[in-house]
Amino acid sequence: MTSGLVYYLSGLAILLGINLIAIWGLDLQFGLAGINNFAYIVFQAAGGYAAALFALKPAKAYGGFETYLGGFNLPFPLPLIGAAAVGGLLAVPVGLIAIRRLRADYQAMAMLVLSLIATGLAEAQTGLVNGPTGLALIPQPLVGIVHVTPLGYNWIFLGLTAGCCALAWWVAHGISRSPFGRLLRAVRDSESAVAALGRNPDALRMKVLIAGGALAGPSGGLLVEYVTAWGPSSWLYPETFLFFTALIVGGKGNLAGGALGALLVPIGIVEASRHLPAFGYPGMIDSLDWVVIGACLLVFLWFRPNGLLPERKRVFRAGRQQAGGTQVSGAFAQRLTGSR
Amino acid sequence: MTLLLSIIIFGVYSAALLAIGAVGFTLQFGVTNVLNLAFGSILTACIFAEYGLTGHSTNLWIAMAVGAASGAVLSLLIGHVVVGAFLRRGATGFGIAMVTIAISLMVQFGLEAIQGPDILSYSAGSQATMNIGGVVLSSGQLTTIIVAVLAMAAVQVLLRMTKFGLAMRATAADVSLARTCAVSPARTRAVTWLISGALCGICGVLLGIGEGSFSASTGSDFFITLAAAAVLGGIGKPAGAMIGALIIGIVSQAAAAVIAPSYKTIAAWVILIAVLVLRPQGILAEFAADRELVA
Repeated sequence: MTSGLVYYLSGLAILLGINLIAIWGLDLQFGLAGINNFAYIVFQAAGGYAAALFALKPAKAYGGFETYLGGFNLPFPLPLIGAAAVGGLLAVPVGLIAIRRLRADYQAMAMLVLSLIATGLAEAQTGLVNGPTGLALIPQPLVGIVHVTPLGYNWIFLGLTAGCCALAWWVAHGISRSPFGRLLRAVRDSESAVAALGRNPDALRMKVLIAGGALAGPSGGLLVEYVTAWGPSSWLYPETFLFFTALIVGGKGNLAGGALGALLVPIGIVEASRHLPAFGYPGMIDSLDWVVIGACLLVFLWFRPNGLLPERKRVFRAGRQQAGGTQVSGAFAQRLTGSR
Repeated sequence: MTLLLSIIIFGVYSAALLAIGAVGFTLQFGVTNVLNLAFGSILTACIFAEYGLTGHSTNLWIAMAVGAASGAVLSLLIGHVVVGAFLRRGATGFGIAMVTIAISLMVQFGLEAIQGPDILSYSAGSQATMNIGGVVLSSGQLTTIIVAVLAMAAVQVLLRMTKFGLAMRATAADVSLARTCAVSPARTRAVTWLISGALCGICGVLLGIGEGSFSASTGSDFFITLAAAAVLGGIGKPAGAMIGALIIGIVSQAAAAVIAPSYKTIAAWVILIAVLVLRPQGILAEFAADRELVA
């Protein structure tokens, strides 16, 4: 393999890892708890901005060619931790809209509009994150401490991404298999049953919204630190549907499905089209990517709405004792509410 | 004083433009109970179709007719054929939202691939202007206001005085009861998609003229403002959409004049979120939460 190819593949692996974290975060919110978060990209964007602002020096240090709030010049890994915190905190105001009891399609529209408003504000308030131009020159982690070739740095960054992925998997898998995860599935499948068992579905949804946001944040942070620039055009509302398509193609509600989706949609479709022989004007293939993504979404919603790796059906068995109806539901209730 | 007058006049113009689209959107939602998130992309497609077919036409009425026809065809195809198929397959509210979003992405980015990197300039009709107390209004803007008034009147006459309007209202209120009264809900829905698409096309052409240019994302941005008008007035209610359009039109012009031009749309969108969260049933209308989706 030529070193150019190795460099390209390592970059691809980094992007896969970043998408994986984001898709697992969305899987927690949408796949596990059934929250139709059509503003998910805002969480990633906020994480990206947070990491950038925590890592950048104050604007004056660069001659003031860009304007933004803060610039705290914090060392690695604080910007990423900050990104996670901001992503999680953002879930609280977003949750006020996302957790309202609205018709699912109204909710979808409200979340979509929220995403557009966020883009609009980031562009209109130029002092906040440098307006439509966005932030640039974002410091990469460990640069200045380690001295390596660009390829060597890619390997370091890949290791960092892999570490973050492992952490994200640990969080998402932990939630998914815990009693809390079972409760979330119950909220998704039968909200009134959960409420009848004395649990507050809204509080549960808020918790998972925060957890998902805390994964989206660092994924945005990693992306920003990898590409060293971040602006409103990087997180327009269609990007949310890249993640949704990945989940629906791969299979929602399970981490393997999300991983397969990450490999097929953001990396598969978007990267494969870069290797097509060039045709049209520059940028035409990028537009056609979205047509393919939309078509994929439609085809899967029609033929295989549960994805390539559907969520395993979890059937509760009443142990060995073959208990009667009331006892089963009693035991079921115990399992459901997580009391031991 | 001129500022206030210009806010009112341009507010009325924005309201007229919004109302044409919003009434189409809300009428279709009321009858079919499908929240069509691809409405904005259909609107853009109509401008593209009109631009491709007659180019810089000198006759505004021909331009609008072409826009209306292309909108009606597209709306029937997307709404009645594709979304209808998903509905018959048992798709739920969220599934339908996903389907319309997927279609919207395909149309919008398909058009972007055709359009190329340039923003297309667009005009139709005469370039004459009119001066009202120091506020200059173009003939396109004046036509928009006239067309809006005509369209609103036509929709009200259709709904209140014709047999088909009765069928539409019956389908909106209770599908099975409508069926027992010899109303064919499927046919009513199909015609509703056509009417909604035609209004969408007219709105698109007038928007293109008003802006003087268009791109593949013109409609999807405008759609949210239009949806704000429809939701504010009580989604599913044409009369509400008119009131909503008037409020949104004037508020967004005021925000543009008083805060900054970039806040024109943000103001409308914030109203939309506030209404969805605080009073999803809107100003008029009962809440349609319990209505089921039917093919």
